[in-house]
Amino acid sequence: MSLGKFIAKRAFQAFVTLIGALLVVFLIMRILPGDPARLIAGPEASWEDIENIRKMLGLDKPLYIQFIEYVKCVFKGDFGKSIKYGTPVINEILARLPYTVLLAVAAEAIAVALALPLGVYSALKPNSTLSRFISAISLFGASLPIFWLALIFIYIFSAKLKWLPSFGAGSWKHLILPSFTLALLLMGNLTRITRSSVMEAASMNHVTTAVAKGLDNGKVLRRHVLRVSMIPIVTIMGLQIGSLLGGAVITETVFAWPGIGSLLIDSIFYRDYPLAQGIILFIVLAFVIVNLAVDFIYGLIDPRVRSRTWS
Amino acid sequence: MSIVLDVRNLKVYYELGNGVVKAVDNVSFQLYKGEVLGIAGESGSGKSTLGQAIAGLIRPPGRIVGGQILFKGKNLLELSESEWRKIRGKEISVIFQDPNSYLNPVYTVGFQVAEAVEAHNGGSPKHYIHKAIELLKMVRIADAPRRAVNYPFQLSGGMKQRVLTSIAIANKPELIIADEPTSALDVTVQAEVVELLLELKKELGSSMIFITHDLPLLLEIADRIMVMYAGKIVELGSSHHIRNNPLHPYTRGLLESVRYERKAKLKSIPGSIPSLISPPPGCRFAPRCPFAYEKCRKIEPPLKQVDGRLVACHLFNEGGNDG
Repeated sequence: MSLGKFIAKRAFQAFVTLIGALLVVFLIMRILPGDPARLIAGPEASWEDIENIRKMLGLDKPLYIQFIEYVKCVFKGDFGKSIKYGTPVINEILARLPYTVLLAVAAEAIAVALALPLGVYSALKPNSTLSRFISAISLFGASLPIFWLALIFIYIFSAKLKWLPSFGAGSWKHLILPSFTLALLLMGNLTRITRSSVMEAASMNHVTTAVAKGLDNGKVLRRHVLRVSMIPIVTIMGLQIGSLLGGAVITETVFAWPGIGSLLIDSIFYRDYPLAQGIILFIVLAFVIVNLAVDFIYGLIDPRVRSRTWS
Repeated sequence: MSIVLDVRNLKVYYELGNGVVKAVDNVSFQLYKGEVLGIAGESGSGKSTLGQAIAGLIRPPGRIVGGQILFKGKNLLELSESEWRKIRGKEISVIFQDPNSYLNPVYTVGFQVAEAVEAHNGGSPKHYIHKAIELLKMVRIADAPRRAVNYPFQLSGGMKQRVLTSIAIANKPELIIADEPTSALDVTVQAEVVELLLELKKELGSSMIFITHDLPLLLEIADRIMVMYAGKIVELGSSHHIRNNPLHPYTRGLLESVRYERKAKLKSIPGSIPSLISPPPGCRFAPRCPFAYEKCRKIEPPLKQVDGRLVACHLFNEGGNDG
């Protein structure tokens, strides 16, 4: 398969995924109890007022007509207007997007910077005291509830030491607590995957060949262990970045970080159908793109994958 | 003839959770310059572990617990890791048994051959691509320049075995350890690979240890043959002696277990290799031996000089002919 054909095939798959996701979100939003027209009209409104608002929003039409019209608009690049804010959905998403990307990239970068060396070390020296300590920490990080960790961090670094702000965004200082909180959570899984993957690669027969050549340990490790161990690690990193781009809902809420995740929660509570649909669409798109990137990286790492997919 | 390798009382144990496996237990032998020494035995006999120990490739839970490996008079077991690195792949090379798993799947074969040159000459593998192509030609890979940029999964098993061979001979080693180099290959390719190995060995003036379960093959290619059973040497002698008059019941069993010409009948030795964690007292082969008697089950037979070779069996008397 050529690279062009590979991309075309994946783009088609992505399109089907998007339509499917859109349909599911569209239906779930409308099955949920609660009525946006009633919320807008307020508690004093008459039945007629509510009907008028419903008509204005187009919610009086049959569901399938609403869906078809929505999909048509989406293809024209029009995601509709937010019911709550009255502004175009796309503007709301774009306003929040930089914060989400910033937090996602910072958290994943910190997690990778910590997890890879720790994971590799504990794979190569599995019985050392430090390795046991690393295993304990990563299990700890992966299993702690994140809101609790966030609150502990706020308590220590904001309330007691007064080093860092506890909420909001604006300066690099605001980024530290939320990104480290998230990173600790991500790091746990990443360290354990790195450890098991490197251990497996190190026990492979081709590593014995490399040692038998008389290669030094550094080269054996870099060329014959680490590169072969990368595929599961890249997979987990991709999944993590994908879900972070969908907004780290809890972290964003605790730290009042103005990202996509907290916007999504808002829009669902307010039954802001167009905004919620728009955000979910964006999240699915982000996942699809990250997965595509991960598949491409697989090919860079392993020529066998490359020959099956795009060379 | 000068002695290249002198192994004395070597013991290699695997320390596992449920006990200690004595994979190589008090083994001594010599290898002469230019010689092909065949080591035969079933899986679990310790023959591969012995080869790995000589190449410095024993990894935990394996451990060399005693003995000496004198290579050109120098005890390899006293070397530091960096001294070992100068010997591995340069003076002592190994050809491994499974070409599919002993090559790195994500590098081209040319790179992996060039790496063997790089390891002992410095620089980067890129500098040695021409040398690598030359080496691939030496192992008779057709169209070597094009093959060099292939990945292992694009080559056949026989071709991969040739690549592994070219890695092993890259630095003209004095000792080549071939560890079941043909057992993963099609029968039709096996003979070609064996012939190639012997020719290369001659060309380089190396000595060779050829490890296999295929005793009849050794009768054809080896100068001397060492038969191992459950971590011990049971018989060691010239191919001539072993072919014409195998003494140890296990050696005889190994020879009989191969296909008789035309009759295509397969005779097997009943039973299997004993647990090496708690081997039987006395002779380790006694439980499977049709000639075993009281003494065999109690006293371990020492290696004795009998009829021009060494044999560890109570059926024979020192210096004597048949028992």
